[in-house]
Amino acid sequence: MLPTTTIGGQEYVALDDIAGSFGVALREDRLAGGVTVMAGTQTIIITADQPVASVSGRLVSLSAAPIRQTNRWFVPLDFLQRALGPALGTRIELRRDSRLLVVGDVRVPRVNARIEQGASSATVVFDITPATPTKISMESDRLIVQFEADALELQLPAVPAQDFVQAVQPGDAPTIVRILPGPKFAVHRATTSQPDGSSARLSIELLPAGTEPPGPPSANPPSATPPDANVPPVDPLPMPVPSTGLRTVVIDPGHGGDEQGARGPGGALEKDITLQVARRLRTMIESRLGLRVFLTRDDDRTMSLDDRAAYANSQQADAFVSIHANGALRPAMRGAEVFYLSVDRADAEARRLAESSEVLPTLGGGTRAINLILWETAQARYLEQSSALAGMVEQALRARVEMSPRPVQQAPFRVLVGASMPAVLVEVGYLSNSEQEQALTSAAYQDLVAQGLFDAIMQFRSHLER
Amino acid sequence: MSRRQILIGVVIGVAAVALGWVLMTNLSRTLRTIEPDSVAEEPAPQQTTPSVTPVVPRIKATLFFASEDGRGLVGVEQEVPLAEGAVAQARALIEAQLSTAPPAPLVSTIPEGTTLRGLFVSSRNEAFVDLDATVRDRHPGGSMNELLTVYTIVNAITTNLPDVQTVQVLINGREVDTLAGHVDLRRPLRNNEALVIP
Repeated sequence: MLPTTTIGGQEYVALDDIAGSFGVALREDRLAGGVTVMAGTQTIIITADQPVASVSGRLVSLSAAPIRQTNRWFVPLDFLQRALGPALGTRIELRRDSRLLVVGDVRVPRVNARIEQGASSATVVFDITPATPTKISMESDRLIVQFEADALELQLPAVPAQDFVQAVQPGDAPTIVRILPGPKFAVHRATTSQPDGSSARLSIELLPAGTEPPGPPSANPPSATPPDANVPPVDPLPMPVPSTGLRTVVIDPGHGGDEQGARGPGGALEKDITLQVARRLRTMIESRLGLRVFLTRDDDRTMSLDDRAAYANSQQADAFVSIHANGALRPAMRGAEVFYLSVDRADAEARRLAESSEVLPTLGGGTRAINLILWETAQARYLEQSSALAGMVEQALRARVEMSPRPVQQAPFRVLVGASMPAVLVEVGYLSNSEQEQALTSAAYQDLVAQGLFDAIMQFRSHLER
Repeated sequence: MSRRQILIGVVIGVAAVALGWVLMTNLSRTLRTIEPDSVAEEPAPQQTTPSVTPVVPRIKATLFFASEDGRGLVGVEQEVPLAEGAVAQARALIEAQLSTAPPAPLVSTIPEGTTLRGLFVSSRNEAFVDLDATVRDRHPGGSMNELLTVYTIVNAITTNLPDVQTVQVLINGREVDTLAGHVDLRRPLRNNEALVIP
């Protein structure tokens, strides 16, 4: 949350609030009438009365000059996007209409909803940009539309209650919209279309009793009886052919460059094995599944863990698989293992805070607020799906290679923390065991592992489409 | 009255000193009896110089080492010097963890030569353990090894000092991403029972 204040018709943010939210340091030079903002190794210099900022020597323009007022410095809102983002090396996007500040590469689609009233039905139309997979279910007497995103930029219609729709409201989670049906509603029918390449349109028709519902005929075809509160969840909406629930996979070959990872007794290096397995898996997915597939590195380079997750986020990946080879203190240890992120109570609390939409009072007298999506909580939203993916990887690998005594575990692995999608880390075997070292360097074993991971990804795709 | 008060004071003082002496003698005997076996097996030269070094009170604490097969941690009860306050006690625990040779067939999870540079405990009961770069430079790598190293440090403090709930490992006084490319050291970690083999 970042409070804003309006001074002279222009919206400002206090620098000390920015410092608190983004972890940057401030140094004021009263003689020169300016402030230096230290963001890691980069510095931003601003001066009162000049609508520019110097970002490590490069001047960027601001919509208004910074102001010093009652011992605090205020900068115009676009300072975040134009100066702070480049200095931090992070994308900061300011969406003024929805009062949303998007930090880093997170999925925050714009969702505009409207209601089209008909004589014997009503249709709730969602225009979603960029196109984002959705799932529709019935909970109690409400229709729940869940978007596969980190947050939504929502514009919902305010309409009087009608026969088929009483209201369209934000749901309990930030990626859910709730439709409260009216008294005449009995069944719904959903269709999606893509009016252009980048956005999708989801239309949910709310129909009276006696209408044929979508999907395969069920054992109990709908009759004139009104729906009761215990209607089981309706199957999620099938997506159009080109867009499945799993369209992009990012594979992360662990380590690389100066960071060699584990080393086998025969000298095999983890960083080489991970890249070889990742390339084999990429070839299989590309040739047989037709998904978009990217490697975080395709050569022997050093890459930070956060950069790997950020890359997956920027590709809007639907699954992230980090490949590693393990090392143990004792040579006897063997077998493959799958990890997904462990989240402790402190993280859960941070997640709750990140998801809550408290509004802080602002200096200008209003109560406007901006949501920040925290890197540290990105993966926490996907734990359930990551756990499902880990289970599928374990099952698929077990059919082909030896598993360790603890095949699925949770651990606080850094590379998984910032991934905004289902994410797992796979240890494909123990390099510290000479026999496994030999296997891990062989094309045959690498193919078995890649095939197992391929099977798991295929299964995960079906799971998401279900 | 004042002479009588002085007399009473003197008598009480003498009695307190005597009581203290008796207690200390008994306590040091008691403490000697729970010295580790290895002390009793010290080589002969030790016997020629009777022990005159002050006896440091010791507590029983659980230290952690890798299991024989290397797939988890095993808690081993060891005596560690008793220290005043959480910070000093946590330091004594980590120093013991770094210097204690693991009983066979267990293995140390911390690279040999690693030293403790500093240790502090925040007001939120988070311990910060600052190790020198040996722990990273000589680390054999692999996520299993890394988990065992990190949670040896975390569990050594949180198991023995329940008031301290989280531990963050620093290297050369700095916060680091990881020790060997896996475990997130950007934040304090909680006790990990799942890694401990009962």
